[in-house]
Amino acid sequence: MNNITIVIAEASCLIQKGLDSILKNLGDNQIIQKMNKAEGLFESISTLKPNILILNPGLLDTNVELINEECGKLKACKLVIISNDDEAEKKYSADAFIHYEDGESKILSCLESLKDDLDKKDKKVKLEEPISAREKNILKHIALGLTNKEIADQLFISIHTVVTHRKNITQKLGIKSVSGLTVYAILNNLIAMDEVK
Amino acid sequence: MRITKDMKMADVIQMNYMLIPVIHRFGINLGFGDKTVKDICSETSVDLNFFLQLVNTYHDKDYFPKEELQSIPSKDIVAYLRMTHSSYLNEKLSEIEESIELLQHGEAEDEKYILLIRNFYEGYKNELTEHIMHEEEVVFPYVLAVEEIYKTGLVSEKNKKIYDSFSILKCQDAHDDVEEKLMDLNTIMIKYLTPPLNTSLYHKIIQLLFMLEQDLSYHARIEDKVLVPKMIAMEKMISELN
Repeated sequence: MNNITIVIAEASCLIQKGLDSILKNLGDNQIIQKMNKAEGLFESISTLKPNILILNPGLLDTNVELINEECGKLKACKLVIISNDDEAEKKYSADAFIHYEDGESKILSCLESLKDDLDKKDKKVKLEEPISAREKNILKHIALGLTNKEIADQLFISIHTVVTHRKNITQKLGIKSVSGLTVYAILNNLIAMDEVK
Repeated sequence: MRITKDMKMADVIQMNYMLIPVIHRFGINLGFGDKTVKDICSETSVDLNFFLQLVNTYHDKDYFPKEELQSIPSKDIVAYLRMTHSSYLNEKLSEIEESIELLQHGEAEDEKYILLIRNFYEGYKNELTEHIMHEEEVVFPYVLAVEEIYKTGLVSEKNKKIYDSFSILKCQDAHDDVEEKLMDLNTIMIKYLTPPLNTSLYHKIIQLLFMLEQDLSYHARIEDKVLVPKMIAMEKMISELN
């Protein structure tokens, strides 16, 4: 799975650090950026393209209109509003809300569900199927010890295509080395043990 | 948590048992009662500063010794790395190999697959051994030569030859390949292989592989974070001298 980038935009150092330490329990594959100033906030967000933005409206002087407008422009970014205002849900169009008095488990479950949403979206792009017939064929050739060029020539495809297939195979199987892929190929009867050179 | 000189050595080990082989390489044995890190280092004449930096680099992957870095003689680091190398070659690698062999004798039906694992491991072992020998024969002598040139400001005939033949930048990405294979082996054993009847031995092998992987990554961290930056700085100074 790819890294998830989270931006915490919060002026209070206590809240920022606290959130940061809670977020660490969310998993390893995340990058957390912290910001504590309103200046340049949305500019940096548009370059960082975070998956989740945790924003305290106080940072922007609780300017509801500005926040809704700017955050509306964020595509593919989940917005979490952090506030002690009971009316926050009504004011802002956010994906989730964190209140000052929320416990750690509540905050985590709120962010986990956002993360799950992101993962689902991610998976639609990638293939669910373990490894396609085409990839199996390429894998067979790799296991037989052929170079990218040789595989490309034999299958009448470009080297670039072979490289792409290889990348996908490695990603799907979690095996990087040629000898590892060979073992996989033998275990799955793609090639026989005595075919290996 | 940072390991400090006033901590009890026993607490250090209880905090991270992976440090047991590390302190052993320093010649420190278990059974230290309530003695502190400082006490034990002075008893066994281990350089306290070096010891602390090393265990902290092992213990915390984000730890990066900065100022203290230059003060430790490369020859101490090299001596330590050589100790780790010999523990890999003489103990860890053969321990795993023996376990895999044992698995193979266990039963007949799965022999084919175990053979695959064995061959794969054999290939990995050869590669790691080759990598270690390269460091022993090329990298370490180079490091020692650079340090001598740096310290004395003189370039002897012998050192000049070594200095010209290599540069520390060449060994920076060499670690990845070796690590990759080990991870693949674990992935295959966990994801794709039907475990043999002797599951407890099979599990032990996987755990040994994980421990080796971790130990190797610690080892690589010492090289990449301590030795390599030190060498880069020295190379720079030397090239400015010339």
